[in-house]
Amino acid sequence: MLSVQNIRKEYSTVVAVDDVSFEVKPGEIFGLLGPNGAGKTTTIRMILDIIKPDRGKILFNGKVIDEEIRNKIGYLPEERGLYRKNKLINTIIYFATLKGLSQSEARKRAYNLLKRLDLLSYAERKVEELSKGNQQKVQFIISIIHDPQIVILDEPFSGLDPVNQIVLKDLFMEMKDNGKAIIFSTHMMEQAEKLSDKICLINQGKVVLNGTLSEVKSKFGQNHIHLEFDGDASFLKTLEGIDKLLLYENYAEFEVKDHQDIDKIFPVILQGLRIKKYEVVEPSLHSIFLQLVGGEKLTRTESR
Amino acid sequence: MKKALAIARWEFVEKVKTKAFIISLILTPIFMVGAGILPTLLVTKADTEPRIIGVIDQTNELADILAQKLDEKYRLPDGAPNYIIRKIFLESKEDLSTAKKVADQLITDGNIEGYLILPASVYEDSVFEYRSKNVGNIKLTERINRTVRDIIVEKKLKSQGFDPRLIKKLISEIEIKLVKVSEKGEEESDFKSVFFSAYIFIMAIFILIVTTGQLLVRSMVEEKSNRIIEVLMSSSSANDLLVGKILGLSALGFVQIGTLAIIGLALALKFGTIIISLSNALILLPYFVLGYLFYAAIFVGMGAPLTTEQEAQQVTGYLVMILFIPLLLAMWIMQNPGSPIVSVLSYIPFLTPTMMAVRIPIQIPSLIEIISTLIVLILSTIAAMWTAAKIFRTAILSYGKRPNMKELWILIKSK
Repeated sequence: MLSVQNIRKEYSTVVAVDDVSFEVKPGEIFGLLGPNGAGKTTTIRMILDIIKPDRGKILFNGKVIDEEIRNKIGYLPEERGLYRKNKLINTIIYFATLKGLSQSEARKRAYNLLKRLDLLSYAERKVEELSKGNQQKVQFIISIIHDPQIVILDEPFSGLDPVNQIVLKDLFMEMKDNGKAIIFSTHMMEQAEKLSDKICLINQGKVVLNGTLSEVKSKFGQNHIHLEFDGDASFLKTLEGIDKLLLYENYAEFEVKDHQDIDKIFPVILQGLRIKKYEVVEPSLHSIFLQLVGGEKLTRTESR
Repeated sequence: MKKALAIARWEFVEKVKTKAFIISLILTPIFMVGAGILPTLLVTKADTEPRIIGVIDQTNELADILAQKLDEKYRLPDGAPNYIIRKIFLESKEDLSTAKKVADQLITDGNIEGYLILPASVYEDSVFEYRSKNVGNIKLTERINRTVRDIIVEKKLKSQGFDPRLIKKLISEIEIKLVKVSEKGEEESDFKSVFFSAYIFIMAIFILIVTTGQLLVRSMVEEKSNRIIEVLMSSSSANDLLVGKILGLSALGFVQIGTLAIIGLALALKFGTIIISLSNALILLPYFVLGYLFYAAIFVGMGAPLTTEQEAQQVTGYLVMILFIPLLLAMWIMQNPGSPIVSVLSYIPFLTPTMMAVRIPIQIPSLIEIISTLIVLILSTIAAMWTAAKIFRTAILSYGKRPNMKELWILIKSK
């Protein structure tokens, strides 16, 4: 659906985005991660066609982004703002018409979404009368009212209370089920870990990690395996390919040195032991993020 | 283009409803009429009550003649005399200082408006004094001065043996009648009407530019500061946004001008003085439209890089000052309409519209000059629009410190 190919953007003093590529498919939730100043916003702006990349291409269903495609993209910027003095309903309708909806259609959908997000009573009020969280919901409405194929959300959850976070998450999932693609950028790794199908971690303008969540985690190694079993497990001590073994009477913890070897190791274990419980404990995205961005173990990173 | 219209509609409909706009719609005409007409009205307004003027008369005759003449010449609307002379008598002729004290006291007590000291020497050196709390009442001092002068001249002529009837004829008031000669033949004109028609044109273009310009800059700054601009830019192209904004806000400006024009026309019809000729207005129209577009572009170019209201106000302030230069020069241009400096100034695009607004009512410039200034203005407007669009596209997304000239230049050059 969306294909970002080797884009690069240079400003007078810095290279903001350097050779970034990734793919987003329909029905995917794509996490664009990275520390502040990593180049996320610049990347998003290029996808939105607000700024042009110096090099590389961004294609939507194989086509360069134009006016018609813009209408299929929704956007929630990180820093929130709305016209303060205008009526809520008018503001929503205005933005919807800018995405190509007719006035009447925009009004109909606006009321539906306001109802859905529990804001119906505010429709005729001025935006400035709303709480911050509610204003954020309004912006979210604006980003999806035209039923976009792709929604790009910059830090969608920040500033929302848990109840509204769930409301928003449900909407995400519904869109995903309807075959929409969602790109969201965040610093909150726990959130990304729970929601994303795929992630792309950017640091200093470069892609540091890219792939499905499990791919990323497994590529990154450090796979811990926890086992509960019956039988004599002493053979594990000499088994090739495992490391950091902690062996107890009927419990063992070890690390698989190379993820690829797991298919060889496991049959051996299964032959020797009766497994009661098997658990792969992966490193959290949070710890991966910290390690990568913190500058540790950079040799193990993949940069394509 | 559809999106540009949607933007124009939003800018117009949402702003036309605001209290600020409605108030400005009402206040601007009041202010303009006030600033333009009130001082003149107050100065020329007839007194409603007689003014009492003291006279210390050392000639022993002038005071009575003065009283009689003033009584003949100046009457209040209700027929009562406008000026009443009250003689302040001297105990002895030399005791002027005592008399002054008495008279000063009369002024402070509000019994008299002021007083004249007519010395015996007035026949020789024609010098006399008027003392008052308020010496700025030009109408009063001018009338008294003229009357006293006439009396003295008359007396001098009489003493030379002239026939009193002849004297009256000789010193009858001389008034100048101004006739402006143009290709259409002669028309009566005077400074005031020329000045006011220039003033009206300049105020019209000024209001249009300032209203729209400020709204443009403020809306850009607002959208930048609350980051709406990113959503807008992701929905429509920068050009649509720019065109939509200028269209929508211009419509607002024209609503204001229209309101003013209607009020102006109503006033003119009521008082029977239409000082703007249609042909002048038609010649000015292209200057008006082009000048407006030129300034709109300048406002966009200067406003897009700004991030705060304060900066925006500063910048609009400077531009407004430039607009007013020709009005300051109006008096001088009227005296020297053919001066080469006037011609040169007319070619500076910032000044062209307002210079022409001043010049056309005075003396219509030659066809060559009109065409060449228009060409220069058209070219500069196109250049300004192009540059503004470039700056807008990039600067509207940048935050932080205002770019300096060098950085702006890089923006303009970049593709």
